[in-house]
Amino acid sequence: MSDAVREAVERLLPGVEQPSRYVGCEWNAIDRRATAQPYRAVLAYPDVYDVGMANQAIQILYAMLNALEGVACERVFVPWKDMADALRSAGVALYALESFDPVNEFDLVGITLPHELAYTNVLELLDLAGIPLHAEDRSDAHPLVVGGGPCAYNPEPLAPFFDAVLVGDGEVAAVEIVQTHRRCKQAHMTRRETLAELAKIQGVYVPSLGQHRVLRRAVADLDAHRSPACPVVPYTDVVHDRVAVEVLRGCARGCRFCQAGTIYRPVRERRPDSIVRDAMAALRCTGYDEVSLTSLSTADHSAFVEVLGRLGRRLQGTDISISVPSLRADALTPDVARLLGKAKRTGLTIAPEAGTQRLRDVINKNITEDGLLDTVARAFASGWRRVKLYFMIGLPTETDDDVAGIGELVGRVLAAARDAVPANERGSVRVGVSVSTFVPKPHTPFQWEAQPPLEEVHRRQELLRERMPRKGVELSYHDAEASFVEAVLACGGREVAAAVEAAWRRGARFDAWTEQFSLDRWRAAFEESGLDASAIANRPRDPFEPLPWSHISSGVSTAYLRAERERAFAGQTTPDCTFAGCTGCGVCGALGVSNVIAGGVRV
Amino acid sequence: MSEAKFRLRVTYQKVGPVRFLSHLETARACERSIRRAGLPYAVTHGFNPHMRIAFGPALPVGTAGRAEMYDVWLTELVGPDDALERLRHATREELRAIACRYVDPKGPSLAAAADVAHYEVAVSGPPEVAESIARGLSSVSRSGTLTVEHKGKQKVFELATTLLKEPVVRPVDEGAVVEVVTRMSEQGSLRPDALVKAALGPALAGVASVSVTRTRLASRAADGTEEAL
Ligand code: SF4
Repeated sequence: MSDAVREAVERLLPGVEQPSRYVGCEWNAIDRRATAQPYRAVLAYPDVYDVGMANQAIQILYAMLNALEGVACERVFVPWKDMADALRSAGVALYALESFDPVNEFDLVGITLPHELAYTNVLELLDLAGIPLHAEDRSDAHPLVVGGGPCAYNPEPLAPFFDAVLVGDGEVAAVEIVQTHRRCKQAHMTRRETLAELAKIQGVYVPSLGQHRVLRRAVADLDAHRSPACPVVPYTDVVHDRVAVEVLRGCARGCRFCQAGTIYRPVRERRPDSIVRDAMAALRCTGYDEVSLTSLSTADHSAFVEVLGRLGRRLQGTDISISVPSLRADALTPDVARLLGKAKRTGLTIAPEAGTQRLRDVINKNITEDGLLDTVARAFASGWRRVKLYFMIGLPTETDDDVAGIGELVGRVLAAARDAVPANERGSVRVGVSVSTFVPKPHTPFQWEAQPPLEEVHRRQELLRERMPRKGVELSYHDAEASFVEAVLACGGREVAAAVEAAWRRGARFDAWTEQFSLDRWRAAFEESGLDASAIANRPRDPFEPLPWSHISSGVSTAYLRAERERAFAGQTTPDCTFAGCTGCGVCGALGVSNVIAGGVRV
Repeated sequence: MSEAKFRLRVTYQKVGPVRFLSHLETARACERSIRRAGLPYAVTHGFNPHMRIAFGPALPVGTAGRAEMYDVWLTELVGPDDALERLRHATREELRAIACRYVDPKGPSLAAAADVAHYEVAVSGPPEVAESIARGLSSVSRSGTLTVEHKGKQKVFELATTLLKEPVVRPVDEGAVVEVVTRMSEQGSLRPDALVKAALGPALAGVASVSVTRTRLASRAADGTEEAL
């Protein structure tokens, strides 16, 4: 079968953009001969290859599942529109990259759900694979379709399309799912019986069994699971084309709009020894010229400077560089700047999120204006010429003063930057300002809040445009229309699924790609499925009403989220529990985990 | 930093699905295989250090290669057999290194030296396809020139100077194989599939696929003879 698919695909490739997305046979990919195992899984990412291959979860699970006896795990991504259309008109079903075998012949298809705007691509993927979109239409002969990733925390808008959804870390749970499914197959259990078995695994939600309670999975010790020593090396120029070593998981800073801050709690740092060991092993095994230390906030690692120093010494005199993609500006000490070298001078980013201290206290963003201006002055004095600032519009309690405050803050940043550079270089100072729209996210203290209606968001964007200094500032808005749809998909219940399907049937795919997104198409889909989208995105909720995701627990107590909401409206901040001691979110007790600070204390 | 003293010329193949990689993608894959092989490659000085490596003429996306080449500068001498062995372990079969030797560090660049390319064009179709190609080729060569359209631009090739040998057509089980030897120049080179397609004319409609493999790169001496690179 696979040879026929391969030949058919090779006939299509001359006519498509970036054919290297579809050819497989990358270094460290499992051998096509090794794919013939009794149990076969395929990991899918609902976007093109170049985006999907940057996802670390895919690489981690790929390595773990392929290490299991009798299991072969392959990969698949959503073909770009030209290739998808070519496959459809040639009658070729979507195939897995290693064996070129059709995806619908596998035992399990695991789909990562990275963000809401990827939902239509999930349907595109299933459809291209020839797998019935609705779980209830699948027979014993079809693969089990399992979801996971950040969007699993409100699985309802996609519930009809999944047989099961994993909530939380996949390291241990994915293996349990595969082993359980395998055992059920060997015992010739029906699909229903199999699903009932899977629902017994902690963290697994089976929508067809009703809204049963699910408690998230979390690994207690990240060091118990090595960072992949031999990740697959793409040929295509992918989004993050380098070795990635996750140095810590979780962030306890507690920004109140941030879902990651809840669903990845508590903080689990990897030890410096394992970081250096895994980075060096992966560099040797891949041949990459860059290693990136990843996490939500890498410089929070209690041994960050030690790790940078040790890796820097090992890589001295080579063409291999170290990068830190999420470097907090206040972590840019002279030491760190020196250790990162000159190559990283291009991008300095800071996320104050709000323009006034009042609103920053509401959202618990621990950045003061003085601190921000100091950092900018320091960075520009030591050679940086550009900084990018991230803000959000529409945050709870935001007034026009807060919006205007963004413009004023940017003005002061610009002045601080210009003051810090020699007079003849002032013209080259650039401040990038990126403004997104607040999206209420499940499992955050702001999960009950409303997104302002689209017209109001546009009014505030206009107000901001008027207040923004023009010279030296590059202002960009994150598409407010897409954020509206994102809010509907993030906060809706099972009734939203029909709208997702209607949007896809109307041609929605790659919604996260701005030029592919169409609000009109989504509006028509909402109408067709009788959904009042505004009542989902733009309505404040009562903190005691049941929410579509109430049956899914991150381990953080709802009482804590409510208390955080109260503190937000009182303008009270809450400290980071890795510095100041437990603040009582409840996750450690609920999941039997605790903060793991490898360097002893955080400074 | 150590000096770039030794210039290792590596011959590799690019076959199967990886023939759809772009030149840039192929180059990056080769660089990574050199790092994996642990060869003592030289690094450029300056702001953003990178490997000292130079590639031969680019293969068009979709064309396979059986003897493509790059030069990588080393800081220490590694026996050519040893280097080959290490590279073979660090490359997938589809991009396997197949020969290594040292060349004069001061010699001309591969891209400039390689001006002769040998190709095999495999045409899969009915058995009589070989004969229609042969007939078509002689009428194309009688006309003396071939006009090829590429990205909306027309290009005219003088066949007498572009083709270094009379193309040879061999019938095979499922169609035909055409051997073409062209001269490459800065102004662009004739794609052998364009020649074969032109020769086929309307018979192209009955052909299932045309695939091209570059089998050899060489350099042309002043007297017109071919020299290995
Ligand atoms: S339970 Fe306490 S220590 Fe654990 S993450 Fe929550 S606040 Fe931090």
